[in-house]
Parts: sequence; C-alpha cells; structure tokens
Amino acid sequence: MRCTLRVSVCAAVLLTGSWVNYAQAAEDITLAALLPTSGPSASVGQEEQQGVQFAMDEINAAGGIRGHMLRINFDDTQGKPDQAVLALNREIDLNKVPAVITAFSAPSLAIAPLATRKKVLVLNPAAQADKLGTASPYMFNTMPLTRDETEVLAHYLTKTLGKKTASIIYENSAAGIDGRNDFIENFKKFGGAILSDEPIQPADTNFRPMILKAAAAKPDVVFTNVIQGDSLPQFVDQVTQHGGFPTVVGTTFLTPAMGLAGSNGWYYTAIRGALPPETDQAIMKKFGTKSVSVYTREYYNDTRILARVAESLIDNQKELTGENFRTELMRIRTFDGVAKISFDTNTAVRNIDILQVQNLVGTKVAEGRVGE
Amino acid sequence: MLFLDLLADGVVTGCAVGVVAVTFTMIYSTTRVFHVAHAGIYTVAGYSTWFLTTRGLPFWLAIICSIAVCAAVGALIQHQLYTRLARRDAPPLVLLIASLGALVVIQNLMAALFSPNILQIPADWRVLTVGIGSIRLSMPQILLAVSSLVIFAGLLAWSRYTSLGKRTRAVAANEFLAEITRLEPRRVYITVMAIASGVLAVPGSLTALDHGLQPYTGTLVLLTATIAMIAGGMGNLFGAFVTSVILAALQTTSTLVIPGQWSIAATFGLFVILMIVAPTGLFARRPR
Repeated sequence: MRCTLRVSVCAAVLLTGSWVNYAQAAEDITLAALLPTSGPSASVGQEEQQGVQFAMDEINAAGGIRGHMLRINFDDTQGKPDQAVLALNREIDLNKVPAVITAFSAPSLAIAPLATRKKVLVLNPAAQADKLGTASPYMFNTMPLTRDETEVLAHYLTKTLGKKTASIIYENSAAGIDGRNDFIENFKKFGGAILSDEPIQPADTNFRPMILKAAAAKPDVVFTNVIQGDSLPQFVDQVTQHGGFPTVVGTTFLTPAMGLAGSNGWYYTAIRGALPPETDQAIMKKFGTKSVSVYTREYYNDTRILARVAESLIDNQKELTGENFRTELMRIRTFDGVAKISFDTNTAVRNIDILQVQNLVGTKVAEGRVGE
Repeated sequence: MLFLDLLADGVVTGCAVGVVAVTFTMIYSTTRVFHVAHAGIYTVAGYSTWFLTTRGLPFWLAIICSIAVCAAVGALIQHQLYTRLARRDAPPLVLLIASLGALVVIQNLMAALFSPNILQIPADWRVLTVGIGSIRLSMPQILLAVSSLVIFAGLLAWSRYTSLGKRTRAVAANEFLAEITRLEPRRVYITVMAIASGVLAVPGSLTALDHGLQPYTGTLVLLTATIAMIAGGMGNLFGAFVTSVILAALQTTSTLVIPGQWSIAATFGLFVILMIVAPTGLFARRPR
C-alpha cells in the first residue's frame, strides 16, 4: 500500500513537472539561429550573434511578442555545411522550431533542401551566393545577392569612372566564386574586359602571389571578393607594401577593409541601411564594441522581422508553423527596419550605394538600385 | 619581373617551412615520434609573441621569451606525454594519436584564450619594404629568410660539431646502444624537443608578424613540412630544408602557367610522382 502511494506521489510530481514544462514551452516562442560561433568564421558569427541577442533581449524587455517570451537557440555551425544540417535537424527534431536564421552561403545552401522538406522558414540576413535566391521556397534573403551588387558596381566603374579593364582576386568559396562570375558577367556586359583572375583559399592571409599577378596584368581596377573579412587587414597591408597597386573595388564584403591605412581611394558597394543612433549606442554599450558592424545590424533586423511575423500570426490566431511563417511573411511583404525591405521574390529588393574611401572613411559617391 | 617576384615570395615562405621541416625531422629521427603537435607549438610561438608585444614588450624581447615558452612546452610534451607513454610500451600509433590530441588541445586552447579571430602583432615597421633590384620584400619577409637560413646553418653545425649534437645522432642511430653506453636517451629526447621547439618560435613569430595569427594555420605548414621531410629523405636535415624551399617556390611560380586553384594540387602531384620514382627521397643517402 505504502509502495503504491509512493509510486503515485512520484508519478504525480513527474506529471506536474512535465505539465509545468509544457506550459512554459507553450508560453515561449522558440526559434533558432544557426551561426558559426567557433572556427575560422567565428568573429563574424559573434557579430551576428550580438545582433540576434540584442533584438531578442529588447523584445523580451518590452514584454515579448504579445506576452510570449522569445527564445532563440544559438546553434554552432562552425561555418560548415555538414554541421549546419546537423544543427537544423537538431533544432527541428528537439525544439520544433518553425523558423531559423542562417549564416554563410555554403551552410545556408546545405540546409535549404531540409528546410523545404520539413517546411521550416529560413531567413538569411547576409549570405549572398546567387544560388540562395532559388535554393528553397522557404528561404528568404533580406540582402541583395552578389549579382545585384556587382551589377551596380560594374555599371558605375564602366559608365561613370570610365574603367575598362579589371583583374580579380576572389576567395575560393561559394560566395567568392559567385561574386567573381557575376563581376565578370556584369563588367563585360557594360563593355569592360577582364585581364586576370586569381583565387585565394578561405582564411588564407598570404595574398602576395595573387597581388603580384593581378598588378602585373596592369588593370584599371582590381575587383576583390574576399568573404572572410578577418583577413582583409592583411590584404590591405600587402597591397600597400606592393606600392603602385591599381584601385581596389569590391562589394559589401570589402567593408571590413575600410578605415585601414592603405584603403584610401577604394570603391565598394554597400547595402543601404541604418539603425537608430540610440540602438547603435545601446548595442555598442552592451557588447563593449566601438562600432556596430553590418552583420550585427542585419541580424538584429532579421530577428525583428521574425518577431513581427510571429506577432502577426498570433494576432490572426494562427499556429506558429514554418508554413504559416512563410505565408505571413509574404503577405506582410514590406518591412521597415534598418531600411525598407520588400519581398517581391525570395530575395529582398534594397538600395545599393557606391562608397569611396576618402580620408579613411567610406563616403557615398553614387546611389544605385538593381535594374536601374 | 613577375617570375622573380613570385620566386622570391616562394623562397621566403619555403625558408619558414624549412625550419619547421628541419626541426620536425630532428624530432622524428631522434625520438621516432611523429610529433604532429609541432604545429601547435608553431601556433603557440605566434600567440605568445602577440601576447607579450600587446603588453608592451619590444618585439625582439617578445621573440626571445617565446623561444623559452616554446622550448618549455616542447620539453613538457616530451616529458609528460611521450616519455610516459613510452614507459608503458605504447606503440607508435598510440604516440601519434596522443600527439594529435595534444595538437587539438593546443589549437583550441589558443582559440579559447585569444579568440579564433585573425590577430595582428602590433609593430608599425612590419609594413616597411626593402627593394632588392626589381624585387620588393617586406621587413618581416627579409627577417624570416635571414633568420631561417641562420637557424638552418646553426642546427646543421650543432648536429655535426657539438658534443650534444653528436650524442643526439648517436641516440638516433641506435637507442639501445645509447642506453647501455649511458648516453641517457630520454634526457636527449627532452633536450632535442626543447631545442627544436624553441627555434620554431622564430619563424612562428615572424610569419605571424607578416600574415597575422590564427589558431589553426600551423596544421597546413606542418603538412607541407612533413611532405618536405619525406620527399627530402627521412632524417636528412639538408634534404628537408631544401625540399621545403623547392616545394614553396614551385607552388608560387607554378601560378604563372596554371590557374592558382590548381597550384597546390599540381605541386604535390609532382611530388607524388617523384616519390614513385625515388621512394627514399630526393636527398636520401645511398647505402654504402
């Protein structure tokens, strides 16, 4: 009898615990961010994490999403496709997440088929390989892809600056190769000629052989598409050491090189967007940084977009599923955050500016929009 | 002239790899341990120099301290890991796995302590360049080439002319005989490990000064050094160094005729063919 009583009490306690857990889980909205928080891309991953973390804290401090606390699991992909697939499987199977934020082109492309199969929304704030545009009906890119940026850049170089020849130094990775191919296509389309193109292995910091070869071709400009921004200070140093190197041009990926001695006169495209100054200040204070990187900004923005979609679903009393997230995102279509972002397709349309480094500061010299 | 520029760049890189290959050869031919954790010590060198220079120590003093740090880490690995395993009659495979483990621990420790980001040693003079004819080399490159040649010559002289060097060669030739003639092989192993690890701090720090620091870069350097050691003729210090220089020079100059993404594959492919033709290595001593 006593034994039965003990068992009953234990069972009741366990059931109560489970119910409490279930109740809490039902209260929270759980999403995931698949980021490279370790490995060679970790520095970018940490900036991305800061953006997501700050947005989540801000949302929860303001009472959550219609009273539901937002919980975002950070799952480390190490910037590797296989780890990204494992991470997404983990988040879907264990945490039943309806939507995730992704990072880097190769891992994002790797999880796309799984996202389609499992009907999970994938929001991509910064990866830019062209294939991401058609990778999955569940994948949405809030930043224009490399073909869009290179089109604006190539047009400006040929039509405004009158540059006719270019060499290319590109990272031998998905986004690096796409950038190279897109630049070649667009530069030729506007009447330019490519004199040489040289690959650099991801995370390699000895650019000298490529710098020597690019300079020897004597081009008007050198298009540089190095995705891992961490290595750009070494690139700037080695270009400076070369002396008399042609003007370097690039896309958003060149942003980390700006402000470094030796980068004066360089041109690069930038996706237009800005956070309110008080948010910038708060982010810098929270994480002890001197500035807010483009990655922190964009990941903050995408977390806000997911929260906005979740809020809309709750308002319309719809279940928080990946399918509903996708439908609702397409229904809302236009989001006002760091910039006006609208989705006519899976990839957002945004303004692209041309900046030139003057006195080590990126200064806007032209405005562009894809197709204009 | 582009060919000379590329050749100079390759030779400088090859000199740094050459020191890694020579020290790796010294360790392997003496202790018979395939000491892959040597790549970790190469990494430790850069990080300790970075740490000390960011704390205000002059670069030269920081390098000297790094030599001591690397020598201590190398001796510690030998004394606490390999010697202990050898006492338990661990087979070579176990020693290799233990070494791999030590490498992973060191690399992840560096990433955890100093972040996985690429770090730059603060020294304004690193961007200065010197022109030699039409070739332009950075200050770290010149120091790297000169110091590597000095270290290589020093190690050769040490091995041939000092009593400790001769003792090391005796131990390498026959451990059992060295044991019974009281040459104390285990003490020699620790000394060799300390010397090989200590001198590694020089190219490790200068390469970090030139290219920046990452926790995992040592692995690729060691891979090239290992190939140079084998292709140069196992146990041959001269062969290891010269093959490293040839390998690196081929890698950079080959980009003149083949696309850059093929240069590593083509260079190592060439060495695979060479190994088939001369399996004992390019500079192997012929049996008398």
